[in-house]
Amino acid sequence: MQPPILEIKNLSKAYDHGKNPALVNFSLGLNKGEVLGLLGPNGAGKTTLISILSGTLRDFSGSVVFKGMDLFADRQLRNQIGIVPQEMAFYEELGAMENLMFWGGLYSIPEKELKKRAQDLLALVELSSRAKEPIKKFSGGMKRRLNVAIGLIHQPELLLLDEPTVGIDVQAKVSILDIIRQVGLQGTTVVFTTHQLAEVEQTCSRIAIMDKGIILAQGTLNELIRIVGEKDIVIVSGEFSADRFSDAIKPLIHNDIEILSITDNEAHLAFANSEGIPGMMQHLFQQHVSLADLKIKSPNLEAVFLKLTGRSLRD
Amino acid sequence: MKKIFHIAHLDLKLTIRDKAFFFWFLAFPMFFILIFGNLYKSNPADKKAALLIVNQDRGQWGNYFVKKLESPDIELDVRTSVPEKIIRMLVIPADFSEKLVTQNSQELQLRKNSAANMEAGAVAETKIVQAIARLLSELIIYGNRNIEDFFAAHTPFNDLVSIETRLPKDTVAVVPSGFDHTIPGTIVQFIMMMVLIYGGVMVLEDRKNRVMERILFSATSFGELFNGKLLGRLLMGLMQAAILIIAGKIFFHLNLGNIFLSSLVVLVFTLAMACLSIFVGSVLHKEELIVAVSVLAGNVFAALGGCWWPAEIIPPTFRILAMVSPAYWAMDAFHQVIFFGKGLASILPNLLILLAFTSVFMVLALRFFKIRE
Ligand SMILES: Nc1ncnc2c1ncn2[C@@H]1O[C@H](COP(=O)(O)OP(=O)(O)O)[C@@H](O)[C@H]1O
Ligand SMILES: [Mg+2]
Repeated sequence: MQPPILEIKNLSKAYDHGKNPALVNFSLGLNKGEVLGLLGPNGAGKTTLISILSGTLRDFSGSVVFKGMDLFADRQLRNQIGIVPQEMAFYEELGAMENLMFWGGLYSIPEKELKKRAQDLLALVELSSRAKEPIKKFSGGMKRRLNVAIGLIHQPELLLLDEPTVGIDVQAKVSILDIIRQVGLQGTTVVFTTHQLAEVEQTCSRIAIMDKGIILAQGTLNELIRIVGEKDIVIVSGEFSADRFSDAIKPLIHNDIEILSITDNEAHLAFANSEGIPGMMQHLFQQHVSLADLKIKSPNLEAVFLKLTGRSLRD
Repeated sequence: MKKIFHIAHLDLKLTIRDKAFFFWFLAFPMFFILIFGNLYKSNPADKKAALLIVNQDRGQWGNYFVKKLESPDIELDVRTSVPEKIIRMLVIPADFSEKLVTQNSQELQLRKNSAANMEAGAVAETKIVQAIARLLSELIIYGNRNIEDFFAAHTPFNDLVSIETRLPKDTVAVVPSGFDHTIPGTIVQFIMMMVLIYGGVMVLEDRKNRVMERILFSATSFGELFNGKLLGRLLMGLMQAAILIIAGKIFFHLNLGNIFLSSLVVLVFTLAMACLSIFVGSVLHKEELIVAVSVLAGNVFAALGGCWWPAEIIPPTFRILAMVSPAYWAMDAFHQVIFFGKGLASILPNLLILLAFTSVFMVLALRFFKIRE
């Protein structure tokens, strides 16, 4: 088996003089050619991780080995890594082509080759027809696509994207995910962070779930789903407080029913046997917990996430 | 090195692309040049210390005295009656020779127009005093003889009496004026303003657009990024200087003296401003604030430093105050090169002082250079 292309070991980083931990002994290995989705809610530490890997965030502990070398020992290794930051970063006054030529110019790429790559990338991100227009006239989705293209101009072996789909419409998201898939197919190793379940489900060969600065679980989608077992997920909602519901459901908790999460007005439960559902409803009725809605779902990543973190990802 | 140029080149390109580029870099400074160039235009008629002499003397000594006044620094116009308009006029009275021969004291009148150039007046007065002293000395040494006959027969004695007047140290005989003063003044002022405005605002914008941080995602080092930004601002300033020098040559027959030395002054001064602009763009967080501070500092330091009117006419106390302005040292160096034909040795102190400013601004820029919000 090949050694991992990237090996992150015991990475720790805290803000505000150590009072605010963002990464806690974070470890993760990455194999060449895989597309890893790093799923975590806001504040999980995703941007902190990408910033450390991009070399712009200091004062952390732990080690990162890239292709057998200390990533921070040699600036030249940066030529093999592409970074797509969460916040868009480019020259708004320039056109897409000019931007690519500038960013590419920071890597020793011959002018002619650079031009060709820029054209190919503009085609990949579907901006060829708008190549000369100043970026400030672009829509959010177009800017996001250019942001990705800039990270690819030097044909990196490893591409790190921080929430590349945040703040754009569905169609633009689909397009970005498609670009990521294509880049992965060309052999580039990709890590992208997101707080959108559906994105990792659709796009990644491997998924890691992180919260509060650590990895909670990782594996393929199927491996992760096995964490919640072969259970049905029941989502109930109604006029109840989290405490009221917890008290009411307590007597029913045994092997067959598992609480994934309880918040005001909504609770996620896992049932090993769906025949127990009517009994639960009756019980809650007797306890005067009024239910407005009930949904049954087959096990999915959302359930895994709820079980691992105790909170929903939608916020 | 290539990366430094790459980064610098982009800043220069963005500057030229700016909508207001033409206005700031050409139209506005040309306006300044026209205003101040005409305001402090030297009076060509009065440049050579013009002196009108009204010789009313009935004897021979009046003419002899006029001959003693002749000198290349002075333009004599001898008449016998008083004209209507005068700049400065010396009246030799009718009894001049008579009183001289009878050894009676007498008074000569020097009348001046209030608008007359003071420095030229000083030259004229000096020459008059010299001529009086010479005439008196000759009369004392060769008294009771016919001096003219004596000198005619004894030519080697002609220069027996010579009087040399030394002006007090630092007395200014020539005051830089006209377009050769105003254009360098405007160059200095606009290097200051444009490098601070464009250089400062672009540091701020780059930070807001997160592009400087992104540049560091590549193998580019912090040092290369800083030097790239510095070089970009240096090129902005040099471009401003080049635009005004070319315009000055075409429209105002600009003479910069030794062009190598003048360019050296521009280079060192621009470097100081390039460092300062990175500092300003790093510590200020609003575009309007950077523009306001740059325009204010640019104008105050320009006025103080002698860009608008020559520092040579500023009272000595203010001149000491003016020395806090880097513009003062640049302008002083320009004047040495352009008006007094001085060499590198004379402007070396100015260059060193400008380099000292540069070092201070460089330390501030490095210490405060802000790449991300
Ligand atoms: N510059 C900063 N200063 C202080 N705290 C920060 C800073 N950046 C991030 N944090 C904190 O670190 C934690 C992780 O943040 P971040 O890495 O941005 O998470 P994510 O990208 O997953 O949303 C959060 O609690 C956040 O408030
Ligand atoms: Mg983030």
